[in-house]
Amino acid sequence: MRYQSIYRQIRILGAVILGLPLCAVAAEFDHLHLATSAVSEAVKWYVEHLDCAADEERPKIVTCGKMDIEFVARPSIGGSQGTGINHISISFADVTAKMHQLEAVGVSGAGVRLQRFDDGSTLKTAPGLGKHGFIFDPWGTRIELVQDPALLGFHHVHLQSVDPKAALKWYADVFGGEPASLNGELNGLRFDGVWLFAEEYAEGTPAPTPERAIDHLSFVLGNLDDAAKQWRDQGVDVSDPTLPEGARTTARRAFLAGPDGVLIAAVEAGWQGVEEVAQEVQQTTTTAAYDVPMTPWGEPDIQGVWTGNAAHGIPLERPEEVASDSLTTQEAAARRERGTLGSIWGYEREWRDTTLGYDKLTPSTQVAMIIDPPDGRMPAMTAKGQEIAASTLDYRTNRPLAAGPEDLSTWVRCITRGLPTMMMPGVYNNGLQIVQSPGYVAIQAEMIHETRVVPTTPKPALDGKIKQWLGSSRGHWDGDTLVVEVKGFNGRAQYQGAGDSLTLTERYRRVGPTTLEYSFTIDDPTIWVAPWTGMFNFKKDDDQYELVEYACHEGNYGMTNILSGARSKERQMNEAGGN
Amino acid sequence: MRRMRNRIVKAIVVVLVMASAGCTTPEKTQIVEDPLPRAFDGKPDLNGIWQTIGTANWNLQDHSAAAGPPELGAFGATPPGKGVVVNGEIPYQEWAVEQRAQNFTSRFREDPEAKCYLPGVPRATYLPHPFQILQGGPKIMIVYGFAEANRTIHMDKASPEPAPIDSWMGRSHGHWDGDTLVVDAAGFNGQSWLDRAGNFASDTLVVEERYTLLDRNSMRYEATLADPSVYTRPWKISMPLYRRLEADAEVLEYKCVEFTEELLYGHLRRQTGG
Repeated sequence: MRYQSIYRQIRILGAVILGLPLCAVAAEFDHLHLATSAVSEAVKWYVEHLDCAADEERPKIVTCGKMDIEFVARPSIGGSQGTGINHISISFADVTAKMHQLEAVGVSGAGVRLQRFDDGSTLKTAPGLGKHGFIFDPWGTRIELVQDPALLGFHHVHLQSVDPKAALKWYADVFGGEPASLNGELNGLRFDGVWLFAEEYAEGTPAPTPERAIDHLSFVLGNLDDAAKQWRDQGVDVSDPTLPEGARTTARRAFLAGPDGVLIAAVEAGWQGVEEVAQEVQQTTTTAAYDVPMTPWGEPDIQGVWTGNAAHGIPLERPEEVASDSLTTQEAAARRERGTLGSIWGYEREWRDTTLGYDKLTPSTQVAMIIDPPDGRMPAMTAKGQEIAASTLDYRTNRPLAAGPEDLSTWVRCITRGLPTMMMPGVYNNGLQIVQSPGYVAIQAEMIHETRVVPTTPKPALDGKIKQWLGSSRGHWDGDTLVVEVKGFNGRAQYQGAGDSLTLTERYRRVGPTTLEYSFTIDDPTIWVAPWTGMFNFKKDDDQYELVEYACHEGNYGMTNILSGARSKERQMNEAGGN
Repeated sequence: MRRMRNRIVKAIVVVLVMASAGCTTPEKTQIVEDPLPRAFDGKPDLNGIWQTIGTANWNLQDHSAAAGPPELGAFGATPPGKGVVVNGEIPYQEWAVEQRAQNFTSRFREDPEAKCYLPGVPRATYLPHPFQILQGGPKIMIVYGFAEANRTIHMDKASPEPAPIDSWMGRSHGHWDGDTLVVDAAGFNGQSWLDRAGNFASDTLVVEERYTLLDRNSMRYEATLADPSVYTRPWKISMPLYRRLEADAEVLEYKCVEFTEELLYGHLRRQTGG
């Protein structure tokens, strides 16, 4: 049964095709595309939390009931809400149990974010759907959990439209699908296995789906040429069927502009997706000579806006289980994604991708930062070093309530991250701006906003009576390399236990037009029996990245909240203790 | 330093000296030494460490000596000073006069300087702390001693781009007007004060700064403040900047955050012995 009221068709498409009776192309709703920054992590997440099945032969795809979800490693500029596709839905035999299970996962790491209703509950009853609730995947797709014993696994796609009836009509006319009602209460369109619903979008026009978390829907059909011709006759905006570069089979693809900004792919039967275009692998060592540009006054020019984003996730020490010298690109992407999710679970992907621009840079495949000793592990610690490490571990394990700001880290206090920590890539605000003038190099870290002005002409270091959080930096050019020696630390922002007896030697060398190699040698004989050196690369990003003003202290609500929380906890404990 | 060319170029200027009346030669060419240090591109070289002398940070306008918090004795007192506002008055709208008075009353707690907040523009210039100008590439950077404040002055953007977000220090675009560096700054969050007396602007503030070298060791700093939400017309401040002449001058780290923690968070400390 195809829904084909000529009258309604004309009403939608206008008078141009008046009187032309058309059957909808018989298409199957086959799969949908979600954007993610790490495909392997997304596959893992959907398998672990939503009981979808991975497919060894097709590593980018999970099958959830009758629907395939294909993940695309692509920057997303926002979650699914607010676009023409609000959410997808998956059905479970016992949605209450499922929701409890997901709630127990927590939001930490690649966790599960729940959407609570106004009364704080996670499940509610809706017409047709019965008991339902919403969660989000870590990459911004909103997912509805329902309990429909008649259809377990992937259940429906929920569109948002300025005119929901017209939208469903369009899908029926273009792809077939059977108008039906779920439990007699919720009208939609039935495609073989799954449902398509549409709700009214009251806030203007929904945003286009491309580049959002749910990027597009895909329908599969027999021959694209006939279909495309018919669609054009129907007034549908459709691209020419083509065989995309890297297609795994000879099946072709065309794109359609659906209502409300929804992008739809139509593929021919046999479609097996597109081979990933090989990604550029970050060079951790460059042997080819690079002619470092010079400033007009004759110093090597390392100016610009750099970011440590590509290096985020490289562990300081080589993990014992890693045997090879470098990771594969996929392993590196997964590692960074784990690190990112582990650090900023509270933030949405939208924010990460638009604000941080992570996906613009291929993650580093470096196994560890430490390059000397060559085994990638820190040298042995002295007795004092071990003592400090133990007490740090103890503090981190027990996290005593802070009596005042002094009990918290200098980063939490917005004072400093210390050195070399201020250079280390973190989870966000990794910008590094370098500006030079004759005889000086200013190195500005975005995080916390800290700037060191390093003289490159001989200048005596501070005489030891003036101590600074970031010590005293003195530089010189060794060929193309800026060598900066830093000492005179006040010792209050320690690095791995090293404080006022630390001598830090940094080397900045531009090894390519967009690559700044940064190494740091840690020498503190009171903590380690030998010096050691770490290295990672900054990547240049002048065109797109501008350091924002990280006014940390000015907006340090965290400090107020931590301290007032601690006082409140103490009051509770006192009351419980009978005081 | 191996690769640096030590090119101190003594720039010269050709000056046409008009003959005085009655002289037989109507004009002659004279070569005199340029009093200004020049950068590699012939622009005045503003590189160095600079600081104001004066009391603008206490009050931009004429002010007598005044007491501070009694417990600080003379430490907290206001030194007297002549104003730096050209023509004397700040043309506040009526409501803003009231706001300024309120700010004054609460200044010891509410002045962002007391809280070690980023100082904004133009106040960063006349805080009693040195700052270093780095001029060479397509961006000029000013690194201030106070609160790790810094500014990037974009010399490489032909037309000012609006600030992506409001901030304490705003967004700065620079260009040369003859031998004067002109910096247009906007995109402020409106939370900065202009001095310890509570003078202020809002987030619609637009500042035009002019840095004009007078000789090797001094320059004139002028800033015109336009803010239709607060003032009835644009107004201007003007003061000299002096080069710090100490051979080993450097902008030392002044991370003042921890000095404000008692002021800001003291009430949230664990009370012991009570």
